[in-house]
Amino acid sequence: MGFLVLLAAGCDPVLERPQAVVAAIPTDAKIEAFAVGIHGATVVETIPGDLATLNPLVNESAAGSAAIGRILDSLITLDPETGAVIPNLAKSWDISEDNLQYTFHLRRGVHWSDGQPFTAEDVVFTWGTFFAKERDPVTGEPLRTENGTFQYRYNSRSTFGQMINGQEPLVELLDDYTVRFTTPEVYAPFLLFGGGVELLPKHILQGAFEDGTLMDQWSVDTAIQEPWKIVGLNMFVLESYRPGERIVFKRNPNYWKIDSAGQRLPYVERIITKIVQDVNSSNVAFAQGLTDFESIAPDNVAWVKRGEARFDYTILDMGPSSTTNFIWFNLNPGQRADNQPYVAPHKFAWFNDKRFRQAISYGINREGIIRGVYFNRADILHGYVSPKRKFWYNDQIRKYGFLPDRSRALFAELGFEYRGKDLYDAEGNRVAFALMTNSNNGLRVEMATVFKENMAALGIEVELQFLDFNTIINKTSDSFDYEACMLGLGGGAPDPYAGKDILMSGGRLHFTNPQQAAPSTQWEARIDELMRSIGRHTDVEKRKADFFEVQAIMAEEQPMIFLVSAKDFVGYRNRWENIQPTALGGVTWNLESLWAEVDE
Amino acid sequence: MIAFIIRRLLTLIPLLFGITMLVFILMSLAPGDFLTPVRAQRDVPADLIAAIEVEFGLDQPWYVQYVKWLGNVFEGNLGHSWAYKLPVSDLIGQRIFATFLLSLCAFVFSWAIAIPLGVLAAIYKDSIFDRISAGLAYAALSIPEFFLALLLVFFAAQTGWFPMGGATSIEYEYMSWFEQILDRAHHLILPTLALGIGSIASIMRIMRANFLDTIRAGFVTTARAKGQHEFIVMFKHVLRNAINPLVSAFGFAFSGLLSGALMVEIVLQYPGLGQLMYQSILREDQFVVLAAVMMGCTMLVLGNLLADILLAWSDPRIRLEAKK
Repeated sequence: MGFLVLLAAGCDPVLERPQAVVAAIPTDAKIEAFAVGIHGATVVETIPGDLATLNPLVNESAAGSAAIGRILDSLITLDPETGAVIPNLAKSWDISEDNLQYTFHLRRGVHWSDGQPFTAEDVVFTWGTFFAKERDPVTGEPLRTENGTFQYRYNSRSTFGQMINGQEPLVELLDDYTVRFTTPEVYAPFLLFGGGVELLPKHILQGAFEDGTLMDQWSVDTAIQEPWKIVGLNMFVLESYRPGERIVFKRNPNYWKIDSAGQRLPYVERIITKIVQDVNSSNVAFAQGLTDFESIAPDNVAWVKRGEARFDYTILDMGPSSTTNFIWFNLNPGQRADNQPYVAPHKFAWFNDKRFRQAISYGINREGIIRGVYFNRADILHGYVSPKRKFWYNDQIRKYGFLPDRSRALFAELGFEYRGKDLYDAEGNRVAFALMTNSNNGLRVEMATVFKENMAALGIEVELQFLDFNTIINKTSDSFDYEACMLGLGGGAPDPYAGKDILMSGGRLHFTNPQQAAPSTQWEARIDELMRSIGRHTDVEKRKADFFEVQAIMAEEQPMIFLVSAKDFVGYRNRWENIQPTALGGVTWNLESLWAEVDE
Repeated sequence: MIAFIIRRLLTLIPLLFGITMLVFILMSLAPGDFLTPVRAQRDVPADLIAAIEVEFGLDQPWYVQYVKWLGNVFEGNLGHSWAYKLPVSDLIGQRIFATFLLSLCAFVFSWAIAIPLGVLAAIYKDSIFDRISAGLAYAALSIPEFFLALLLVFFAAQTGWFPMGGATSIEYEYMSWFEQILDRAHHLILPTLALGIGSIASIMRIMRANFLDTIRAGFVTTARAKGQHEFIVMFKHVLRNAINPLVSAFGFAFSGLLSGALMVEIVLQYPGLGQLMYQSILREDQFVVLAAVMMGCTMLVLGNLLADILLAWSDPRIRLEAKK
């Protein structure tokens, strides 16, 4: 009996929700052209990993981004077919002739999910949170750090990510529905990066912004106790959250899109998102017919497909994903604290010669990796850009097939020689190196094993080191105590400039030799120049030409030896109507227009 | 008695100092820090990382961080979680109920079964029942908790009789209070089994051994000689005396109430403190880890204290006051 009391104590008190005010359909409502559907269906889905916060200024987790992305919306969005920037909450924009001013015209009559009007004030407020400065309490002067930069009140990704060459863009309110941004110099990705900012409601967060608690807002505590305080412009609002268990979203009654019959979207009434441990358990739930939409890991596709008929779902091959896998050598010429070089000098000489890197690249059996590791669910990756990004993908770069004879020819050119089956360099050193990769990524561990065998066939001895991810990041960005490394990168923003930290020699993630004061090689200098040009030119053809050259240099020099790119697989239950999958948007890009018969 | 309790609680202070310092040292030795995963991402500006390092004090050596943290603790502030931007105490408060409920269920389940079984095994020593229960106990003791949990997940997946994780069903919010209680109970069955079966075996073996020791004692023969009924001898005289060592075991069980379920929670996806701690350790979210360690340590001291007090109360031979 005591247990019953305890169990009952665990049941939540019924939350007293304020009634949401439903405003009239906006004059500038976006009309979706899909077939008219029925309201009321519930989506059930899983998400690997839990939330830490719903505050977009704080969030670092993928689960958090997914949940915030359901609730908050932005001025622009991307076309699910072409990836071009298209209007969203801004119905249009003008760019001045000098390419410095962007004037956004907002949709009229749009309301936040709690029924308050959405205006240009909210846009200005959002940007104000990024660049608010700590001020001296007496003089009111902004405080500066030791190296002269401002001290910001709220250090968020946007604070630094939205700065252009260290300077803030200027944001001005022209009228209730017009806002103008002025960039300090021509900055091509502004429309995408600046327009893509998730907008925050001024009427909710102004108080917290002023009293300094902005970063503590919209925490999981808010999500548990007062979910209605998280107010947004996107198609859902938070209904409830139970840590470690699930997130429930409810339809935003004030959403600004309507169907062709004039009914307010979305059709979906509720989304129940179960929090699961990892991608595998998420895939299991879908394979048992328990969830509606799922992206399926390439190594799980085969067995998930078996349930297609029984549980009435469909799995689609969406083609190459935007993830990349690659190997690089440590090209950092610096020294450790004890005056020893990071890399033994004879090895550094090999790694630093592009012919050595090319020879390694010719020696890798990428088709073998695709067959043996991915069971044919991946594509060869020739260069820095995945073929998924069709628009930016340069197909005319130097490609490295599996040609071990070419490798041997290049080694001969370098003065290397074979003694028996083993390869020795011109000074008689055995050619051997250690390759590290993170142990918790099974596919990568298998790829490294294939690589080791491929290298053994060339007479090179590779020692594999499977390490903890944090250790790897420490070695590649701080201690530089390694010889070669295999890692991968996820998608990133669909603009070439998003890769500046990887491609430019001063970048934090310029893996081979990061944060160089000045480019140490000619080709790195050229890439730096091209990337700066990509940032400064708004002419798409010019940017494309520059980026194609970057890819060609990367392919010729092989600082990063690219391997394969896994394919994207998505699954959905067949009860859903209006499904129109695209390579860039997946299955749920038009979630507001998806509908299903309601069971009860 | 009160002096004893105060003395015991005072030993907690150096213990907590030592343990928290050890945690700080270990976490500073572990590769990377809270910001390492952020550093591995392509679109995070270096200035942001530098600014956050200063904000969190990660640019300072561990002892400076430790002294700062201690200062906050003396002001009653256990610190803010970096990942959640919430006071650590709030974060633990969100999860504590679920874990407490699970541990308590497992505790009651295992003790309620183990004590009668142990007594029966002792009374019918060397019978077929004793042999079977010994065999089962050894089997249960040799299966690690997490493995048993994995087996149970598999069982749930195959039969569909039990939920495969979580503490409530997805329809929970829309149920009546009675259905909510049933739903929670349904979700508690497998984690309770996974957590309880191991301790059933060990408590049962302790109980049996003590019972056998006591049966041979002189006062039992006296009681029998007086012509008392065997049932009275066993349950009134022997059981009371045999249960003493289990009171100490109870102290240990108490200390595990909030931190003992970590493995089971992770495998069975039960949303309690264990999951929070595990995630925080992986993320190196320092202050959450520290709070969790401090809580475990305090519970251990309190559990032992409780056991000692109970022993003094139940066994007249034990005196807690220091000798004059």
